[in-house]
Amino acid sequence: MNWDTAGTILAALCTLAIFSLLYKDNPFYRVAEHLLVGVSAGYYVVHYFYSSVIRKFYVPVFQQGDLWLLPGGILGLLILFRLTKRQQWVSRYAIAFYVAAWSGYLIPSVIQERILVQVRGTLLPSPTEVSLAAMIGAVVLLVGVVSILVYFYFSAPHRGALGVISQVGITFLMIGFGASFGYTVMGRVSLLIGRFQFLFQDLPSSLGF
Amino acid sequence: MKDMLGAPAGAEGKGRFYERLINVDRRVIFIFVALAVALPLLFPLNIPVGSSREANAYFGEMERLASGDEIIFSFDYEPDTMAELDPMSLATLRHAFRKDLKVVALTNYAGGPGIAERILGQTAAEYDKAYGEDYVFLGYNPDYSATMLRMGESIKATFPTDHYHTPTDQIPLLTDIDRYADIELLVTVTASALAEYWVIWAGGNYGQRIITGNTAIQAVLIYPYFQTGQLAGFLGGLKGAAEYEKLISIDGAGVRGMDAQSIAHLLIVLFVILGNIGFLIQKRAAAGGEAMEGR
Repeated sequence: MNWDTAGTILAALCTLAIFSLLYKDNPFYRVAEHLLVGVSAGYYVVHYFYSSVIRKFYVPVFQQGDLWLLPGGILGLLILFRLTKRQQWVSRYAIAFYVAAWSGYLIPSVIQERILVQVRGTLLPSPTEVSLAAMIGAVVLLVGVVSILVYFYFSAPHRGALGVISQVGITFLMIGFGASFGYTVMGRVSLLIGRFQFLFQDLPSSLGF
Repeated sequence: MKDMLGAPAGAEGKGRFYERLINVDRRVIFIFVALAVALPLLFPLNIPVGSSREANAYFGEMERLASGDEIIFSFDYEPDTMAELDPMSLATLRHAFRKDLKVVALTNYAGGPGIAERILGQTAAEYDKAYGEDYVFLGYNPDYSATMLRMGESIKATFPTDHYHTPTDQIPLLTDIDRYADIELLVTVTASALAEYWVIWAGGNYGQRIITGNTAIQAVLIYPYFQTGQLAGFLGGLKGAAEYEKLISIDGAGVRGMDAQSIAHLLIVLFVILGNIGFLIQKRAAAGGEAMEGR
């Protein structure tokens, strides 16, 4: 038996141990759960430290002499002051710089791509398809967006025309939640299919059956 | 004995018919779902798989590329969503290598390198592709937003070395490639909102054409970007993977899983209907009881 086969068998045992929770909590499930948490924590700590501190800071600064990265590294170190009680305030400088820089980067781009382009897309039919169905779809989309926005308008009582439109908005919301739930079911079933494919196909083939 | 949510086992299922209907022991449901998934995998039904507008657009974007064109392929997921996303990655790379496209691969997840190495290795071996000339794996870079932004200025500066510590300026494939302008298409297969960030940083700032493969849960959030044309095509969940496999005529785990997916969905719809019938009967019975008390 080689290491790959041993690993496949171990993975199959862990899968069965995790599935055993569906009946009730038990020691096999606990072992598999703790194994997952422990291995994941170890992997990510080492990976993040190596890829961030070593590859992105230590090597460029101390081996290649790129001193431009030093101020960023020092700001990063300041965040560690959060671990102390009395000097915790020092970490705020690093966080303030990070928040300010990313706000400057993010705000214009997010407004453009997530709001302005989306508003234009709500008002205009899809540029990728020109047909009667697309036109009807565009109208439905517009009605849905407007009615949902009215539903979330709280500065006036939802009576009369406003009440009717907000009811339409709720209907659109419910359809949206239903579609979202359907996709969630599909995603969860897909994960189960993946595990069963592993147990019924990958495991036997790695064992030579 | 208690079940996993703390309810006493066996407490459900007693009483009137409709009470039993809405209080089915969840372990009974688990067994039915397990059978609905397992049996079609063991005894395939070959239920036909169609293709959606989104999958056709994804396929069309790949298909319009010419031999020798370069694509970026980003493995933006980790082992927890391999079941849904591995079939998409395998199918896309098979399609890319079959068309002799050049692939610049990377990952924005720390748990991604293992997946990327396995899938790149498998597909490259199938089509006899050489590392460094036909494809390259740049590895993982911390902070996806900064990575996406900086790649617009210089891929080699963003990744001074590839995943195997070879300087990127010594890799033949990257001789004439250094920014989005040199790339025909960007493909991200992701389990999170990273497709949206690729749209913001690479699409919005640099005009990069993007297609994406997403988990089913994320697919709902992706439709608006496809509708506006910010994403040129997308695959949603295992069904999207199966549709794409059919379009490229290479059946994989996506197509093989669709029988199980369909049967499991029918079963869950049945359970939802039965639960609602039980709920409505119970509601009517409760209303009838109150009316009797009021007399």
